[in-house]
Amino acid sequence: MNRWTVRIDGSIVPDPQKIGGKAASIARMTALGLRVPPAFVVTTEACRAFLSNREIPDDGWTEIESGIAWLEAETGRSFGGSSRPLLVAVRSGAAVSMPGMMDTVLDLGINGETEAALARETGDPAFAAQTRARFEELFARIVLRGSCEEVPHDPRHQLRRAVIAVFESSRSRRARAYRKHHGLTDDLPTAVTVQAMVFGNLDDRSGTGVLFTRNPLTGAPVPYGEFLSRAQGEDVVSGARTPASLDSLSELMPRAHEELLAAGRLLENVERDVQDVEFTIERDTLFLLQTRTAKRSADAAVRIAVDLARDGKIGKDEAISRLTAAQVRAVLRPRLSQATRAATRVLARGEPASPGVGAGAVVEDCDEAERRAAEGERVVLVRPTTSPEDVHGIIAAQAVITEVGGSTSHAAVVSRSLNKPCVVGCGPGTAAVLAGRNATVDGDGGEVLEGVVDLEEPRERDHPYLAELAAWAGNRRLLDILDARDSKS
Amino acid sequence: MTLADTEFEVLHAVALRKRTDLDGLVRSTGLPREAIEAALERAAEAKLVLAARGSYFVAPEGDRALRAVYADRFATARADGGLAADYARFEAVNREVKAIVTDWQVRPVGGQKLPNDHSDPAYDDGVLDRLAQAHERAEQLLAGLARRVPRLGRYAERLTTALHRAEAGEGDWVCGVRCDSYHTVWFELHEDLLRMLDRQREE
Repeated sequence: MNRWTVRIDGSIVPDPQKIGGKAASIARMTALGLRVPPAFVVTTEACRAFLSNREIPDDGWTEIESGIAWLEAETGRSFGGSSRPLLVAVRSGAAVSMPGMMDTVLDLGINGETEAALARETGDPAFAAQTRARFEELFARIVLRGSCEEVPHDPRHQLRRAVIAVFESSRSRRARAYRKHHGLTDDLPTAVTVQAMVFGNLDDRSGTGVLFTRNPLTGAPVPYGEFLSRAQGEDVVSGARTPASLDSLSELMPRAHEELLAAGRLLENVERDVQDVEFTIERDTLFLLQTRTAKRSADAAVRIAVDLARDGKIGKDEAISRLTAAQVRAVLRPRLSQATRAATRVLARGEPASPGVGAGAVVEDCDEAERRAAEGERVVLVRPTTSPEDVHGIIAAQAVITEVGGSTSHAAVVSRSLNKPCVVGCGPGTAAVLAGRNATVDGDGGEVLEGVVDLEEPRERDHPYLAELAAWAGNRRLLDILDARDSKS
Repeated sequence: MTLADTEFEVLHAVALRKRTDLDGLVRSTGLPREAIEAALERAAEAKLVLAARGSYFVAPEGDRALRAVYADRFATARADGGLAADYARFEAVNREVKAIVTDWQVRPVGGQKLPNDHSDPAYDDGVLDRLAQAHERAEQLLAGLARRVPRLGRYAERLTTALHRAEAGEGDWVCGVRCDSYHTVWFELHEDLLRMLDRQREE
């Protein structure tokens, strides 16, 4: 009987308090018979013991050793071995998500010998060298925290240091400040997941991606996602290469694609909500890494709630309770109709930086914007760029336009913070063209249109999905129901 | 045109904040309220500062005076290249801070950026972790800057306050415009450095 560790072998779904939320998620997938890279967890109990004695109990290390032996058996690889080496990912996981916890260390177990073994095995010395370099960079930053200590050579020392670093991170300044503020106990231990690495960057029959079980932007009941061949997760995040759609996967590896969609359907049925599934393919074999309830646009949230209830996956009351008043308001926000847009002259184009539509007389000067707005006039502010001294002008304006700058510029950040539509980077000279005219700023499309155009104001009873939800609620106004609920809680 | 230290600091802070009340100047300068009031009174008499309904602005004459003082006070700093080197390091952290603040406001979903509704604590915690890491680099940078210009040390305190409040769950302290949020103070610092170096901001 293990006291300090738990194997994620599909036999049981352990308590998230004991193994952390992320490990519980992979345990659920494993229990459903889905292929997840094998993993074991050093539990929060072990962390608690470490925090009181400042060392891992001896039998704890014995169990970690036997966990590694189990991973070796499951993968047919050997940790620190001179052929077919096993590399692992080490990640933190508390029952409650909080800031300040340790980031994941990938590729642990690599050193000079295992790098050579990996190079022989894959026939790709560059891949092996890149894997080692990445591990050493992560280990130095995350575990050694920038001290000038050397990265340990022995994979077992690497593992010991990483496990302790995870335990220590539960006592980090940030984690403690967060717990204090949220009234959580100061002694909230974290578990450590040790999981076999799979390589999406191994060859052209490998890759990584994300599957949404439905379209998270429109809510359409069609799988949606992206795939990047010969890549690992951070290649997608870094944006260095643009991922292709999932359709490219169906052409490249139809069997893995079909298996992925089937897994998505199963997970959506079990979790009773749209899932966002991270996956990696290593030499044609699909591995699921994580599943979460998918984030979605307000439009998608409304459609998905109705569709899931129509399919009988959730009840009608639950469909309503899953929505927020803010989402319904966003769906009912005045919009630019396609017809109006097509019939109106575009004065300027830029990057959409803050959503919504705003219109008025275009003004170049912040003090003037403030003065005219105070007199009740609707104004749009146009500036070459903005800085803190322009904030009063942004507050006074219906919408903001800049000549230079992108989505992280001051104008973009401040406009989003104030919920003002904003289009940035329209090009030098824009202010001179626009000043003195009336204009409409489309913060969703990134365009400035001539004149103050009429907007379409969607109504709840005309909206196909909102009307259905309202009918389910006994024809009461949805916003009234949701506002009443929110004011109660 | 010369200005005493306190007068310079107060006038400079009014210029950075553009339109400010007394409380804002106390936070920016860390000077005692009475000293600021006295300096504002003298500056108003000299027509360097305008006051209206509790707000203060720099008058055109005050801006000219400030520019002259910058050229004088920061002549060495501008010439010796040390400040410029610090500024180059600031730029690197600046790009990072701006990207982190943007990720606080919008999150990628299915290849598009949607407004972050802050319903996912794991996502928000990840962003705050990155902000805290960038802040550690900013603190080192500011410690170096404060050795040249002690006044700049104040930014480290104000940024730390904003970070702590954000970490404690008050999301407005990341980039709200109505408090001395991380983004607000960061931009004030950026403007301060640009004025000292007599440079224009590049987007």
